[in-house]
Amino acid sequence: MQIIEEIKKNEIFSNPSELQKICLDKLKLKPLPNVKSEYWRLSNKSKFSSFLDHSSKNKECKVNLPYKKAFQNIIRLIIGENNSINLEKENYSIKELKEIEIVDYIKNNISNSDQNDHWSDLLNHCLSSKENILGLNISGNKIPPLEIFSASSPDSFNAKTLILFFEKNSKVDLIQINLGNKNSSLSQSTYLCLKENTSVNHGVVSYGESKSNLLNSLNVIQKTNSEYSLGSLHYKFNYARFEIRINQLNGNAKTNLKGIQITKNNDQIATYTKMQFNGPNGFLDQINKSLADDKSHAVFEGSIIVPKIAQKTDASQLSRNLLLSRHAKIDTKPQLEIIADDVKCKHGATISQLNEEELFYMRSRGLTLAEASKLQLSSYLQEVISSIPISKDRWDLLDKILKEI
Amino acid sequence: MQSKTKELDPILEVNNLFASIENLPILKGVTISVNPGEIHAIMGRNGCGKSTLSKIIAGHPSYKITKGEIKFTGNNIQSLEPEERAQSGIFLGFQYPIEIPGVSNLEFLRVATNARRKFLNKEELDTFDFEDLVKEKLDLVKMDSAFLSRSINQGFSGGEKKRNEILQMALLEPKIAILDETDSGLDIDALRIVASGIKKISNEQTGIILITHYQRLLDEIQPDYVHVMADGQIIKTGESDLALELEKNGYEWTDNFIKEQ
Repeated sequence: MQIIEEIKKNEIFSNPSELQKICLDKLKLKPLPNVKSEYWRLSNKSKFSSFLDHSSKNKECKVNLPYKKAFQNIIRLIIGENNSINLEKENYSIKELKEIEIVDYIKNNISNSDQNDHWSDLLNHCLSSKENILGLNISGNKIPPLEIFSASSPDSFNAKTLILFFEKNSKVDLIQINLGNKNSSLSQSTYLCLKENTSVNHGVVSYGESKSNLLNSLNVIQKTNSEYSLGSLHYKFNYARFEIRINQLNGNAKTNLKGIQITKNNDQIATYTKMQFNGPNGFLDQINKSLADDKSHAVFEGSIIVPKIAQKTDASQLSRNLLLSRHAKIDTKPQLEIIADDVKCKHGATISQLNEEELFYMRSRGLTLAEASKLQLSSYLQEVISSIPISKDRWDLLDKILKEI
Repeated sequence: MQSKTKELDPILEVNNLFASIENLPILKGVTISVNPGEIHAIMGRNGCGKSTLSKIIAGHPSYKITKGEIKFTGNNIQSLEPEERAQSGIFLGFQYPIEIPGVSNLEFLRVATNARRKFLNKEELDTFDFEDLVKEKLDLVKMDSAFLSRSINQGFSGGEKKRNEILQMALLEPKIAILDETDSGLDIDALRIVASGIKKISNEQTGIILITHYQRLLDEIQPDYVHVMADGQIIKTGESDLALELEKNGYEWTDNFIKEQ
């Protein structure tokens, strides 16, 4: 765990920023998360070690995007390469955040929280240089779709940070693409702040290569009457961990989460979600899917927290999982912590295999087993992939994945 | 029993078939032969093995044949996969058609039709040509084209599911169709639509096996032969008047027959 050794020996930066200093001090006291805690106990220790087994002295190289060039009406940004953007249009504006705004916001986020829960962010901010932090203030309701790439360089560790403030009444489609290069580790921390009456349709697609690792953290704050929808997909990582923390700050907000993780070979991909309702009339509709093949391991842990102030909360969390191999493993744990007494909350989990009767029905019409399985998987994936903005029309994501599964 | 069309080679021959599921014997020596142009009805109590027989002919992987053989157009088909049997012209109309959420009915029908066409050395149809074909076949079962854009059988009523089965039969143009309780759950009007569809699709080259409990389907489609099944065997075969006899006397006598055996 070379990075941890460098943190302990204070060998990270010769001239660290204020934020890096704060995080470094915290990590020096407790460099690793508590692997026995609920939040980390299922993390594969040797894979987690391999995530940290790079030097923090980043080798940055230009990101070679494997996707079609952006359409004219899409704003494409690559964290670490072209962070300079200042657009002031008739119907919208996109402006860079000042450094002080970024530091204050992150400091506020990490100072009051459990270090174990925010360890991924602490590590990220400790290692993310100023060039690798993209902060934007976005306003308007006719904003072109935003496409933001984050990538690791081959044989390297890279930390990237994204902070987006959505001003009142703004409405936007946003997609983040995390690309893991071979034998690399990517730490991506994202902060979204949705002010009153905003609507954000967010997609996160994380796609790795051989022996790539990812630690992906997403922190969302929703103010009153905001609506946040997330469609996410994580695929092809030796080790990936997706932490989602959403806070409906004053209630009266709506959250829709749809996610899928696909594991093959010996991969481990985990999703942890924490949904915090801090006011009345909150709404959540969440479905998380895992598809595990070969000897892989998929993990989902979701918690919904409804304190007394969050009366009339309406929340649903469903974990649906598909095991494609007898050697694959899925752990799933949806859970509720409810103190308010006037709420509607439900949760559930299923783990199944491809439905044999469905397969037989299709085969009895002449479809081969491979065709029938592909159609079944396609329908399984479609529900989530169709909720990812922008990507579905441009990348044929579903076809790409089905060819590889 | 002598075949009415004995000059033709049988499409389907089931000879002394024994089969089980999870070591539980279900079929205990079934023999039946269907010639082109013939309509056979198989009747019997619930659990007597009718549906099992149909699934085994279609190649359901959960069942194990322990003795006997199934021949289709003269060839033993036991080693064929379900899709190979379907492509070569065996059609099973399901008693409970499966709902498959997220899979478009239209795309499913197109892939299935093309699999059969490929076997027949016919040109595969692209989406546009297929839509023309399927719209023509929809008329046979009086289905609205809106059903095509929905997921397979999802949200369909019982009658709609059965009509969708007959639509598939019309598209696949099988040599033999085994229709497992296609009449169950249908009201009188839907039954007539389904029966009329079956009659229009069948021809002198097609064999049909109707699995049913009731005379009402056989009022619409008159069978050449009626077989009575009990305890995994065909215990009696007759002509269409046997169905009327069953309607009148019920199946109690079959219990006694089995006991005496």
